[in-house]
Amino acid sequence: MRFPVPVALLLALIGTPALAGQYETIDYHVQQMITYAASNDASGVLTFREQLGNLRRPQDGDANQARPLLQQGESQMARGNAKEAMNRFRQAFIADPTDANIAVALGSAYARLQRWREAERLLVYALSLAPEQSAAWLALGEVYAQAGDTQRATGAFANAYRFAADPAQLAEHLRQRATGDTRDTVRIGALQALRLMQPGENPVTANPATPAPVTPATPSTNTTDPPANSANLLGALKRGLTQLATPPGNGERPAAIPVGTSAPPGNSGQQIYRRSLPRTCLIVTFRNGKLADLGSGLLVSADGLVLTNNHVIENAQNLAVRCGERESTAEVRRRGKNPDLALLTTSLRGSDSFILNETYSPDLIGLEVFVIGNPYGLEGTFSTGIISGLREMDGVRYLQISAPISPGNSGGPVILSDGTVIGIATMGLKVGQNLNFAIASAEVIASALFDAARMKHQPLQSKKP
Amino acid sequence: MHTRFTCGGCLALLLLVAPLAVAQDSERNRFFVQQMIELAADGNAQGVDTMQRMLEQNPKPAATDAEAARAALRRGQEALAQDDNTGAALSAFLQASRDDPGNLDAFSYLGLSYRKLGQLSDAERALQIALSLDPSRAVAWFQLAQVYGLQNDQRRARGALANTYRYAQNPMRAEEILRSIAETETAEPLRNAALETLRLYQLPALAVIVPPIPVNPDIQPLNPPSGARRP
Repeated sequence: MRFPVPVALLLALIGTPALAGQYETIDYHVQQMITYAASNDASGVLTFREQLGNLRRPQDGDANQARPLLQQGESQMARGNAKEAMNRFRQAFIADPTDANIAVALGSAYARLQRWREAERLLVYALSLAPEQSAAWLALGEVYAQAGDTQRATGAFANAYRFAADPAQLAEHLRQRATGDTRDTVRIGALQALRLMQPGENPVTANPATPAPVTPATPSTNTTDPPANSANLLGALKRGLTQLATPPGNGERPAAIPVGTSAPPGNSGQQIYRRSLPRTCLIVTFRNGKLADLGSGLLVSADGLVLTNNHVIENAQNLAVRCGERESTAEVRRRGKNPDLALLTTSLRGSDSFILNETYSPDLIGLEVFVIGNPYGLEGTFSTGIISGLREMDGVRYLQISAPISPGNSGGPVILSDGTVIGIATMGLKVGQNLNFAIASAEVIASALFDAARMKHQPLQSKKP
Repeated sequence: MHTRFTCGGCLALLLLVAPLAVAQDSERNRFFVQQMIELAADGNAQGVDTMQRMLEQNPKPAATDAEAARAALRRGQEALAQDDNTGAALSAFLQASRDDPGNLDAFSYLGLSYRKLGQLSDAERALQIALSLDPSRAVAWFQLAQVYGLQNDQRRARGALANTYRYAQNPMRAEEILRSIAETETAEPLRNAALETLRLYQLPALAVIVPPIPVNPDIQPLNPPSGARRP
């Protein structure tokens, strides 16, 4: 009999109660394997590996339901969307918690999101399902290295090597980590693991394809020696690093494409959308601890200033923003009713931000514009239109646009095809069709909100003769 | 005459008292379940254990027709799974619970059906009866937490979720379910309860900054079937 997903999920929870401290038991065995590996005691590792294998296995899950979710997660991860990938891997794990590959994928996604504790727990759990899974040991080593625990990173990396299906390939991977990773603890852990597992070889020069460091870290010929002093080791590695012609990648996400760099593939609308989405924000307001209203906004400085409409935030007690995948609480830095604008401070530092375009002239009429926002909570809605006219109301300069906007779009960017922001979507006529208005960016630049030191703007284009 | 009257009175008294005693047992057991929720919400593991033992010591009600109850349970499950016919499922589970008042699956599914139909008080009662029959039933605790979430009762949702984790067969899986609720559930009481439960067990937990945005309920089919509301 087949049950719908929620019922199946609920039914899967049924069973005998867990033994107290199930995770702690698993963790104890894994940590013992790490400790013995770090001291190069193979028999100790194998003893605890055997004990780990003897622990009670969880009941089988629903592999048919989990597999597609795993694939979706992998696809999201390949696109650099770690958060969405984590959500899919998590659903896959809930469907089938007995698949070690899913547990490793989820643990690795947590690690990508720098959620180290969750990552450690999932990877330790994965090792209880598959104690010889090299990928899980490798990922766990990275987590410990990130946490600054070089000793445990070394042990986990050593086990990754010990259980690798292709030890030479794993050694090369560790070698790349030892020489090319930007993080000190990863390099040290990988190097020490190589020294343990390949005592007769120079860990960083074993592969002839890898250029030799000028001052290589001398491997100890006595494997029982304590690990080399971290500072000395680091110095040697840093010197060696400078000689590497092509340091291998460290697996980090590529940065978002900034305005003005080579365009991503796709038509102009797609390019505008992809570039603008990470800089467009969902504004969430709270009253009495409850979600109250939604609006839109845009990042206007590298240190996280977000511009929106005053009417979006004026009744809020608390604020939060999501720009692309990043989230932050927000505070009102400055706001005013005329023009209807507000500037928020957030913690989204290091952000790509929009450039405000100061142009405000009849030449704009007829230009294509793109609008991104969150109408009725539909996040990241993209629409297009043209600039239909210039209007001045209550002394404020507006662009009349034909791009469809709705409640929830307020405060969002109106973008020209060069990627600059020409206006802030603000209001529309209830009658008629597509008679919408955006506060001109020129008005923002002229207002007290504008911070020339932090916000980028494109000066007025001089009129051609 | 006097004797006959007395005996008749005894019989009447027995007929009256027996169901009353059963009802009192049921109410007392539900009280213990409530105590398990309160104690779990406070992180009082010892208290939860005590209440669990007290419930487990109670004799289970005998089935009047166990076979009929199993058949009704199957019918109900099929109605849920194949037809998504919650009304038919509810009737079947009611029948199963009458035929075998000690069948915890019948009460568990009864709770699920009542919840799906929005009858939250009935759902709560059915699930409490299920839990009085087996207080270590993780799935029933999870369902009860959802009911409390829908009733905006964050504290009791936390207690029920804490017991879900406590009795889960696979705690790592339960941990991820809690994390999923804490990060993606749109209903605030249940989301907060899951976050509090993770913290109660000192498990890693991430408080969301921007809460999940609920799906806009006004999104409707452009060509609704006849009789349905037009957009």
